[in-house]
Amino acid sequence: MDNREVVLRLSDITMQFGGVVAVDNLNLVVHKNEIVGLIGPNGAGKTTAFNCITGVYEPTNGSVEINGEVVIENHPQGKMKEAYKGRNAGKYTRALTMLPDKVTKLGVARTFQNIRLFKGMSVLENVMVAMHMNQTESVFGATFRSRKARSEEAAMRAEAEELLRKVDLYENRNDLATSLPYGKQRHLEIARALATHPSILLLDEPAAGMNPQESDDLMKFIGRIRDEFDLSILMIEHHMQVIMGICEHIYVLNYGGQIADGTAAEIQANPAVIEAYLGGDE
Amino acid sequence: METTLNKKTRSALSVAAIALFLVLVYFGDIMISPGSSWKMLITVIEKGSIYALVAASMNLLNGFTGLFSLGQAGFMLIGAYTYAIFTIPAASHDAVYQYFDGGIIKWSLVEVLEGSLGVFGHYLGMLLPMLGAGLIVAAIAFLIGIPVLRLKSDYLAIATLGFAEILRAFFQWNTLGPVTNGSNVLRKYTTYGNAIFPVLIGGICIAIILLLINSTYGRAFRAIRDDEIAAEAMGINLFKHKELSFVISSFFAGIGGALLAMFQTTINATPFNTVMTYEILLIVVIGGIGSITGSVIGAFLFTAASEWWLRGLDAGKWLGISASFMRPGFRKVVFAILIMLIVLFYSRGIMGDKEFSWERFIDWWKNLPANLKSWPERRKAKASARREARNAKAAAKARAKEAKSSNEARMASGEALFTPLPVSDTVMVFDKEGK
Amino acid sequence: MLHTWLPYILAGIAVGGQYALIAIGYTMVYGILRLINFAHGDVFMWSGLIMVYLITVLPLWVSVILVIIFAIVLGTTIEKVAYRPLRSAPRMSIMISAIGVSYLLQNFALYITGGLTKTYPEIGFLQKTVKIGSATTKMVTVITPVLTIVLVFLLVMLIKHTKIGMAMRAVSRDFETSSLMGIDINRVITVTFVIGCGLAAIGSVLYFSNYTGINPMSGAMPGLKAFVAAVFGGIGSVPGAVVGAFVIGICENLIKGAGWTTFSDAFTFVLLIVILMVKPTGLFGEKNIDKV
Repeated sequence: MDNREVVLRLSDITMQFGGVVAVDNLNLVVHKNEIVGLIGPNGAGKTTAFNCITGVYEPTNGSVEINGEVVIENHPQGKMKEAYKGRNAGKYTRALTMLPDKVTKLGVARTFQNIRLFKGMSVLENVMVAMHMNQTESVFGATFRSRKARSEEAAMRAEAEELLRKVDLYENRNDLATSLPYGKQRHLEIARALATHPSILLLDEPAAGMNPQESDDLMKFIGRIRDEFDLSILMIEHHMQVIMGICEHIYVLNYGGQIADGTAAEIQANPAVIEAYLGGDE
Repeated sequence: METTLNKKTRSALSVAAIALFLVLVYFGDIMISPGSSWKMLITVIEKGSIYALVAASMNLLNGFTGLFSLGQAGFMLIGAYTYAIFTIPAASHDAVYQYFDGGIIKWSLVEVLEGSLGVFGHYLGMLLPMLGAGLIVAAIAFLIGIPVLRLKSDYLAIATLGFAEILRAFFQWNTLGPVTNGSNVLRKYTTYGNAIFPVLIGGICIAIILLLINSTYGRAFRAIRDDEIAAEAMGINLFKHKELSFVISSFFAGIGGALLAMFQTTINATPFNTVMTYEILLIVVIGGIGSITGSVIGAFLFTAASEWWLRGLDAGKWLGISASFMRPGFRKVVFAILIMLIVLFYSRGIMGDKEFSWERFIDWWKNLPANLKSWPERRKAKASARREARNAKAAAKARAKEAKSSNEARMASGEALFTPLPVSDTVMVFDKEGK
Repeated sequence: MLHTWLPYILAGIAVGGQYALIAIGYTMVYGILRLINFAHGDVFMWSGLIMVYLITVLPLWVSVILVIIFAIVLGTTIEKVAYRPLRSAPRMSIMISAIGVSYLLQNFALYITGGLTKTYPEIGFLQKTVKIGSATTKMVTVITPVLTIVLVFLLVMLIKHTKIGMAMRAVSRDFETSSLMGIDINRVITVTFVIGCGLAAIGSVLYFSNYTGINPMSGAMPGLKAFVAAVFGGIGSVPGAVVGAFVIGICENLIKGAGWTTFSDAFTFVLLIVILMVKPTGLFGEKNIDKV
């Protein structure tokens, strides 16, 4: 058994849109400094699970615990009470919601499946935006360049540059973010997430569209930032090579439901997983 | 070759240019006699500065925060009224508020302060109501923002437009007559003496907007504009920052309204309607959405064209051409067509999203002769490129037609049209939204 | 009680019917292009203006038909020239283009009319007085709601039971997929504009015969109100827009009846803001979920 501290725990997370159950009773645990994989065929509800953790969606039922504290919890309410198709409806009683920015402030940062960089900004600015939430100067002081605002701005810039050096983007710092090649945009998105000082990093298909060489580099990169920034990582990925290579624990979703979890070797041998991916005999 | 200047040179150039402009405006207003046709230039500078401020404030919202708000005229209206109400001289109250027993505010801040502080008090008496106008508008915008800013793009546009209309109705309400003079005009309030006043106030406000945009808050605004969801995921509180941008933008719209009241010398709620908002929006578009420099240039071009250069179109004689169809109103038609052409074919506006820089300015002048020389060639190149594009388009059309007819033939012969997509482990979907 | 309010209610129903005819154009265009067609109110105003000029030389029925054709041509031309080239541009650009067209149409009307209010022709048949209960009113008040309901019924049938109607529903559901499925998007959009503008032209004949004059700004307010009606009913929904239009028409006239004429226009926007706060999708609208 893993006796490291639990940093993220999803309990019975269910997300139902109208009559469609996108995520069905997902139970997932991420320990400190662990890299956990979330896999499943397209439409299995992986990204929806991410959106439930980060506050983009309100889960229909279940709870999310971050660093030992339940911050999101919900149970079927209103019209959903009758329409609810999942299990464990009576288990949760509170309705705690949290906006995405608050979740980020708790130390959960994420990247997106279809890269969402700030198009009109330079690489450096993209990273600096992520540090905005930690600055304390008022809008008045910042506009009129108070001493505090100037020192905060300088510190932000220095830190952003340092971060860009670490991800090999320093040379590109003044380029427009969208002018970077695809692989570098992925790196920048990760750097931007790191700039929020996260303790948990959620990566949504970081290797999408990469060739084997690139995904190999990415794998090493993810391992490196985990150590360097003392992170716990939860990642969605389709590249089995990446998933099997670095994830200590893997969860498999299919049609919203959780069909298996375990180490890479266990997953590869699991008949349910093989059926989900390759299709069973009818 | 690109010019690079150090910071000192740049600031020295800026200070010199601004000082020169202010001196020219100041003495220009004094020296040019009222009958001269050059007086128009001064009018354009005055109105242009005011519109520049309002356009810059709208750009802060639309271009830098990505909030498509159409409430600007309503906010200017409150600003204009606030200023006017507090600066009508005590002796004129009975004449102005003739239907409302002289109104309920019987004093003028300008006179009160002038009495105790002299000339300084006079200007303080003008600046305080202006500042008050900004603050009142900001407070109202704050309240309006709470429900409205949760709406998405076009709903936000129509809701802000709606609020502006409600405000207009409110200011024309006779029950409020003792304060707002109902649907009658407000007049005789204190105005400025020299064109330098709106230029200076407008300039300072625009400078503040620029400082804001280049601060960390400005960066957060632009992040929201570029991608709301990503901005929120980076810990930016969407509502707080949208509200901030909305309130600040409205504050400056209020000051712009106060200046406009001074410029016009009389005000009435009627012209602060959707057309005024549209005009300001079009100024922003002409200058370039996301460029304050553009808004300033756009404002001056807009006022110069509508007040001065195209005047002849209404009078029947313009650039030596005279025609019977040039009668009152023709100017605005030409003007509207020009704007449509810009919107359709030049949608980045004059400046795109770039700001003025001395380096670019110097380079532009340096390269001007070479650019002029190569102009015919570039035009030829452009024309051939366009021809090619046209040919390519025609070819594509022909191909599509052929494909369609062959499909129809195949369908008629009973063949299946769709072949299953190749199965691969990743299917990539690119973001279709381009810039 | 009813005696005093009946005239206002009747007037409200009539105005509501006229708003409904305009609102359909907004709601259908929005449903398909996701665009607030700011120029729609001005197409409405121009239909009225053209009527003023045509009636001087042509008999009534010919004029009405020509006005409808004119509105259709104007609307589809606007779509072709000002909206189609920007279809792949950001949402804000096409909205700005719509505002630009509105500005152009208003200024052109200003030029043609010389800024004067034109007298709308009296259509004798619509002006006949009728007695309903204790109130006397004009024929137009009776005809408007009936005609509106008939036209809306026909439109709903068209949308539900014809091939082009099916194409419209498909396009409004998913623009891209339906173009991939071989639906001729341009044709659907053109038909949408034809229907929207044609109904607005009919609306203009009914609306302006209630008023003596017409000026270049006459289209702005009814246009905005019709848009609010469309939002109120749930934008994209034709029956929703009609219900919204009647609600706005009746409430507005009741407010006038209560002596709050200054606020009769503002009321519409209060309603808009309330509905956007309480149920942003309107009465009959469907919820959209943004994909992340």
